[in-house]
Amino acid sequence: MTASNEELELKDRLRLIETMIAEGRRTTESYGWTFFLWGVAYYIAILWAGLGHSYLAWPVTMTAAGVLTVVIITRKRSKRPPTTTARAIGAIWCATGISMFVLFMALGWSGKLMDYNIFVAIMAAMLATVNAASSMILRWKLQFACALVWWALTVYACFGKGKSLTIAFLAALFFCQIVFGIYGMIREARARKQAAHHA
Amino acid sequence: MPELPELNPVIHGKLRLALLSLLSGIEEAEFTWLRSKTGSTDGNLGAQLLKLEEAGYVAVDKQFVQRKPQTIYRMTDAGRIALTEYVQALKQLLGGAMGR
Repeated sequence: MTASNEELELKDRLRLIETMIAEGRRTTESYGWTFFLWGVAYYIAILWAGLGHSYLAWPVTMTAAGVLTVVIITRKRSKRPPTTTARAIGAIWCATGISMFVLFMALGWSGKLMDYNIFVAIMAAMLATVNAASSMILRWKLQFACALVWWALTVYACFGKGKSLTIAFLAALFFCQIVFGIYGMIREARARKQAAHHA
Repeated sequence: MPELPELNPVIHGKLRLALLSLLSGIEEAEFTWLRSKTGSTDGNLGAQLLKLEEAGYVAVDKQFVQRKPQTIYRMTDAGRIALTEYVQALKQLLGGAMGR
Protein backbone atom coordinates (compact mmCIF):
# COMPACT_ATOMS: atom_id res chain seq x y z
CA MET A 1 0.00 0.00 0.00
CA THR A 2 1.43 3.40 -0.96
CA ALA A 3 1.73 6.24 1.56
CA SER A 4 -1.14 8.22 0.01
CA ASN A 5 -3.40 5.15 -0.11
CA GLU A 6 -2.61 4.44 3.51
CA GLU A 7 -3.41 8.04 4.41
CA LEU A 8 -6.74 7.85 2.55
CA GLU A 9 -7.57 4.61 4.34
CA LEU A 10 -6.82 6.15 7.75
CA LYS A 11 -8.86 9.25 6.94
CA ASP A 12 -11.70 7.00 5.82
CA ARG A 13 -11.63 5.26 9.24
CA LEU A 14 -11.80 8.59 11.05
CA ARG A 15 -14.74 9.69 8.87
CA LEU A 16 -16.50 6.40 9.58
CA ILE A 17 -16.11 6.90 13.34
CA GLU A 18 -17.44 10.49 13.15
CA THR A 19 -20.40 9.49 10.93
CA MET A 20 -21.40 6.59 13.17
CA ILE A 21 -21.15 8.57 16.41
CA ALA A 22 -23.29 11.32 14.83
CA GLU A 23 -25.72 8.69 13.55
CA GLY A 24 -26.18 7.25 17.04
CA ARG A 25 -26.79 10.68 18.55
CA ARG A 26 -29.02 11.91 15.71
CA THR A 27 -31.76 9.47 16.64
CA THR A 28 -32.39 11.45 19.82
CA GLU A 29 -33.27 14.64 17.98
CA SER A 30 -36.76 13.90 16.78
CA TYR A 31 -38.93 16.06 18.94
CA GLY A 32 -39.95 18.78 16.44
CA TRP A 33 -43.46 17.31 16.32
CA THR A 34 -44.00 17.86 20.07
CA PHE A 35 -43.42 21.61 19.72
CA PHE A 36 -45.85 21.71 16.83
CA LEU A 37 -48.45 19.58 18.63
CA TRP A 38 -48.34 21.66 21.81
CA GLY A 39 -48.36 24.94 19.83
CA VAL A 40 -51.53 23.84 18.09
CA ALA A 41 -52.99 22.58 21.39
CA TYR A 42 -52.43 25.99 23.04
CA TYR A 43 -54.11 27.72 20.08
CA ILE A 44 -57.11 25.37 20.32
CA ALA A 45 -57.36 25.96 24.09
CA ILE A 46 -57.17 29.75 23.68
CA LEU A 47 -59.74 29.72 20.87
CA TRP A 48 -62.04 27.37 22.78
CA ALA A 49 -61.75 29.45 25.95
CA GLY A 50 -62.49 32.56 23.89
CA LEU A 51 -65.74 30.97 22.72
CA GLY A 52 -66.92 30.90 26.33
CA HIS A 53 -66.03 27.41 27.59
CA SER A 54 -62.97 28.44 29.58
CA TYR A 55 -63.59 25.95 32.43
CA LEU A 56 -63.35 23.03 29.98
CA ALA A 57 -61.04 24.35 27.28
CA TRP A 58 -57.66 24.23 29.04
CA PRO A 59 -58.02 21.00 31.07
CA VAL A 60 -59.51 19.04 28.16
CA THR A 61 -57.06 20.29 25.51
CA MET A 62 -54.00 19.92 27.72
CA THR A 63 -55.01 16.42 28.86
CA ALA A 64 -55.64 15.36 25.25
CA ALA A 65 -52.29 16.80 24.10
CA GLY A 66 -50.53 15.13 27.05
CA VAL A 67 -52.05 11.71 26.32
CA LEU A 68 -51.25 12.04 22.60
CA THR A 69 -47.64 13.00 23.40
CA VAL A 70 -47.15 10.04 25.75
CA VAL A 71 -48.66 7.60 23.21
CA ILE A 72 -46.47 8.85 20.33
CA ILE A 73 -43.29 8.96 22.44
CA THR A 74 -43.89 5.44 23.75
CA ARG A 75 -44.35 4.12 20.22
CA LYS A 76 -41.27 5.94 18.94
CA ARG A 77 -39.10 4.94 21.90
CA SER A 78 -39.23 1.24 21.05
CA LYS A 79 -37.46 2.02 17.76
CA ARG A 80 -34.75 4.20 19.28
CA PRO A 81 -31.82 3.41 21.55
CA PRO A 82 -31.66 5.45 24.75
CA THR A 83 -29.02 8.11 25.26
CA THR A 84 -28.15 10.06 28.40
CA THR A 85 -28.78 13.37 26.61
CA ALA A 86 -32.24 12.28 25.44
CA ARG A 87 -33.10 11.08 28.94
CA ALA A 88 -31.93 14.37 30.49
CA ILE A 89 -33.95 16.47 28.05
CA GLY A 90 -36.97 14.18 28.34
CA ALA A 91 -36.81 14.46 32.15
CA ILE A 92 -36.71 18.28 32.06
CA TRP A 93 -39.71 18.52 29.73
CA CYS A 94 -41.66 15.84 31.56
CA ALA A 95 -41.11 17.43 34.98
CA THR A 96 -42.00 20.90 33.69
CA GLY A 97 -45.09 19.58 31.92
CA ILE A 98 -46.32 17.88 35.10
CA SER A 99 -45.59 21.03 37.16
CA MET A 100 -47.55 23.21 34.74
CA PHE A 101 -50.45 20.78 34.65
CA VAL A 102 -50.65 20.40 38.44
CA LEU A 103 -50.19 24.13 39.13
CA PHE A 104 -52.74 25.39 36.62
CA MET A 105 -55.29 22.69 37.49
CA ALA A 106 -54.98 23.48 41.20
CA LEU A 107 -55.16 27.24 40.59
CA GLY A 108 -58.14 26.76 38.29
CA TRP A 109 -60.11 24.53 40.67
CA SER A 110 -59.39 26.71 43.68
CA GLY A 111 -60.63 29.73 41.77
CA LYS A 112 -57.35 31.56 42.20
CA LEU A 113 -56.46 31.70 38.54
CA MET A 114 -58.35 34.92 37.95
CA ASP A 115 -55.57 37.12 36.64
CA TYR A 116 -54.78 36.50 32.97
CA ASN A 117 -51.47 38.38 33.26
CA ILE A 118 -50.23 36.06 36.02
CA PHE A 119 -51.33 33.00 34.02
CA VAL A 120 -49.32 34.14 30.97
CA ALA A 121 -46.34 35.20 33.11
CA ILE A 122 -46.08 31.83 34.86
CA MET A 123 -46.58 29.86 31.65
CA ALA A 124 -44.00 31.94 29.74
CA ALA A 125 -41.47 31.72 32.59
CA MET A 126 -41.82 27.93 32.74
CA LEU A 127 -41.51 27.56 28.98
CA ALA A 128 -38.48 29.85 29.02
CA THR A 129 -36.81 27.74 31.72
CA VAL A 130 -37.37 24.43 29.97
CA ASN A 131 -36.34 25.78 26.55
CA ALA A 132 -33.21 27.39 28.01
CA ALA A 133 -32.23 24.20 29.87
CA SER A 134 -32.56 21.96 26.83
CA SER A 135 -30.87 24.50 24.55
CA MET A 136 -27.90 24.54 26.95
CA ILE A 137 -27.67 20.75 26.92
CA LEU A 138 -28.00 20.58 23.11
CA ARG A 139 -25.96 23.76 22.53
CA TRP A 140 -28.75 24.87 20.21
CA LYS A 141 -28.78 28.66 19.78
CA LEU A 142 -32.17 28.79 18.04
CA GLN A 143 -33.86 27.11 20.98
CA PHE A 144 -32.15 29.53 23.33
CA ALA A 145 -33.60 32.36 21.21
CA CYS A 146 -37.03 30.83 21.89
CA ALA A 147 -36.24 30.91 25.62
CA LEU A 148 -35.38 34.60 25.31
CA VAL A 149 -38.75 35.24 23.62
CA TRP A 150 -40.54 33.47 26.51
CA TRP A 151 -38.58 35.48 29.10
CA ALA A 152 -39.44 38.68 27.26
CA LEU A 153 -43.12 37.66 27.35
CA THR A 154 -42.81 36.94 31.09
CA VAL A 155 -41.74 40.53 31.66
CA TYR A 156 -44.32 41.92 29.23
CA ALA A 157 -47.09 39.93 30.98
CA CYS A 158 -46.35 41.92 34.14
CA PHE A 159 -46.96 45.24 32.38
CA GLY A 160 -49.00 44.59 29.20
CA LYS A 161 -52.77 44.58 29.25
CA GLY A 162 -55.74 42.93 27.50
CA LYS A 163 -55.59 42.49 23.76
CA SER A 164 -51.92 43.40 23.34
CA LEU A 165 -50.90 40.68 25.82
CA THR A 166 -53.03 38.09 24.03
CA ILE A 167 -51.44 39.06 20.70
CA ALA A 168 -47.95 38.83 22.21
CA PHE A 169 -48.80 35.42 23.73
CA LEU A 170 -50.18 34.11 20.42
CA ALA A 171 -47.14 35.44 18.52
CA ALA A 172 -44.73 33.76 20.97
CA LEU A 173 -46.66 30.50 20.65
CA PHE A 174 -46.63 30.76 16.86
CA PHE A 175 -42.89 31.37 16.54
CA CYS A 176 -41.53 29.35 19.48
CA GLN A 177 -43.84 26.34 19.18
CA ILE A 178 -45.36 26.04 15.71
CA VAL A 179 -42.62 27.56 13.51
CA PHE A 180 -39.84 26.12 15.68
CA GLY A 181 -41.54 22.72 15.61
CA ILE A 182 -41.89 22.76 11.80
CA TYR A 183 -38.24 23.80 11.50
CA GLY A 184 -37.27 20.92 13.79
CA MET A 185 -39.24 18.44 11.68
CA ILE A 186 -37.65 19.71 8.45
CA ARG A 187 -34.19 19.39 10.04
CA GLU A 188 -34.93 15.83 11.14
CA ALA A 189 -36.24 14.86 7.70
CA ARG A 190 -33.07 16.29 6.11
CA ALA A 191 -30.88 14.36 8.55
CA ARG A 192 -32.80 11.14 7.81
CA LYS A 193 -32.26 11.66 4.06
CA GLN A 194 -28.55 12.26 4.60
CA ALA A 195 -28.25 9.13 6.74
CA ALA A 196 -30.03 7.07 4.07
CA HIS A 197 -27.63 8.49 1.49
CA HIS A 198 -24.58 7.48 3.60
CA ALA A 199 -25.97 3.99 4.17
CA MET B 1 11.97 9.77 15.77
CA PRO B 2 8.97 8.61 17.88
CA GLU B 3 7.62 5.12 17.11
CA LEU B 4 4.27 5.06 15.34
CA PRO B 5 1.52 3.21 17.22
CA GLU B 6 -0.07 -0.03 16.02
CA LEU B 7 -3.78 -0.10 15.40
CA ASN B 8 -5.88 -2.44 17.54
CA PRO B 9 -6.78 -5.32 15.15
CA VAL B 10 -10.07 -6.07 16.96
CA ILE B 11 -11.36 -2.57 16.28
CA HIS B 12 -9.71 -2.12 12.90
CA GLY B 13 -12.32 -4.18 11.03
CA LYS B 14 -14.68 -1.68 9.35
CA LEU B 15 -17.92 -3.16 10.66
CA ARG B 16 -16.55 -3.61 14.18
CA LEU B 17 -15.30 -0.02 14.13
CA ALA B 18 -18.71 1.21 12.95
CA LEU B 19 -20.45 -0.80 15.68
CA LEU B 20 -18.24 0.50 18.48
CA SER B 21 -18.60 4.08 17.21
CA LEU B 22 -22.39 3.72 17.09
CA LEU B 23 -22.51 2.28 20.61
CA SER B 24 -20.23 5.00 21.98
CA GLY B 25 -22.91 7.67 21.51
CA ILE B 26 -25.80 5.74 23.06
CA GLU B 27 -26.48 3.78 26.23
CA GLU B 28 -27.56 0.55 24.57
CA ALA B 29 -28.97 -0.71 21.29
CA GLU B 30 -30.95 -3.59 19.96
CA PHE B 31 -29.47 -5.99 17.42
CA THR B 32 -32.06 -4.93 14.81
CA TRP B 33 -31.21 -1.25 15.26
CA LEU B 34 -27.50 -1.95 14.78
CA ARG B 35 -28.35 -3.99 11.68
CA SER B 36 -30.41 -1.14 10.19
CA LYS B 37 -27.68 1.42 10.87
CA THR B 38 -24.84 -0.65 9.43
CA GLY B 39 -26.77 -2.33 6.60
CA SER B 40 -25.09 -5.61 7.53
CA THR B 41 -26.49 -9.13 7.28
CA ASP B 42 -27.60 -10.98 10.44
CA GLY B 43 -24.78 -13.52 10.17
CA ASN B 44 -21.98 -11.04 9.64
CA LEU B 45 -23.27 -8.66 12.28
CA GLY B 46 -23.62 -11.47 14.82
CA ALA B 47 -20.08 -12.71 14.11
CA GLN B 48 -18.54 -9.22 14.46
CA LEU B 49 -20.46 -8.48 17.64
CA LEU B 50 -19.29 -11.80 19.07
CA LYS B 51 -15.66 -10.78 18.42
CA LEU B 52 -16.25 -7.49 20.21
CA GLU B 53 -17.93 -9.35 23.06
CA GLU B 54 -15.03 -11.81 23.35
CA ALA B 55 -12.60 -8.88 23.50
CA GLY B 56 -14.68 -7.43 26.34
CA TYR B 57 -15.59 -4.31 24.35
CA VAL B 58 -19.36 -4.87 24.34
CA ALA B 59 -21.72 -6.48 26.84
CA VAL B 60 -24.79 -8.43 25.76
CA ASP B 61 -28.12 -8.74 27.47
CA LYS B 62 -30.82 -11.08 26.17
CA GLN B 63 -34.37 -10.44 27.23
CA PHE B 64 -37.97 -11.04 26.23
CA VAL B 65 -40.23 -8.11 25.46
CA GLN B 66 -43.86 -9.04 24.81
CA ARG B 67 -42.73 -12.65 24.33
CA LYS B 68 -40.29 -11.63 21.60
CA PRO B 69 -36.56 -12.17 22.16
CA GLN B 70 -34.42 -9.03 22.18
CA THR B 71 -30.64 -8.84 22.19
CA ILE B 72 -29.32 -5.63 23.67
CA TYR B 73 -25.72 -4.48 23.21
CA ARG B 74 -23.90 -1.98 25.34
CA MET B 75 -20.35 -0.63 25.15
CA THR B 76 -18.16 -1.52 28.13
CA ASP B 77 -15.58 0.74 29.78
CA ALA B 78 -12.85 -1.38 28.14
CA GLY B 79 -14.49 -0.76 24.76
CA ARG B 80 -14.63 2.97 25.34
CA ILE B 81 -10.95 3.05 26.32
CA ALA B 82 -10.02 0.91 23.30
CA LEU B 83 -11.94 3.18 20.90
CA THR B 84 -10.35 6.31 22.39
CA GLU B 85 -6.89 4.77 22.06
CA TYR B 86 -7.68 3.68 18.50
CA VAL B 87 -8.70 7.24 17.52
CA GLN B 88 -5.56 8.65 19.12
CA ALA B 89 -3.42 6.11 17.27
CA LEU B 90 -5.19 6.93 13.99
CA LYS B 91 -4.53 10.64 14.46
CA GLN B 92 -0.92 9.95 15.34
CA LEU B 93 -0.51 7.78 12.24
CA LEU B 94 -2.19 10.42 10.08
CA GLY B 95 0.22 13.00 11.46
CA GLY B 96 3.05 10.65 10.56
CA ALA B 97 1.66 10.00 7.07
CA MET B 98 1.30 13.71 6.40
CA GLY B 99 4.83 14.30 7.60
CA ARG B 100 6.29 11.85 5.08
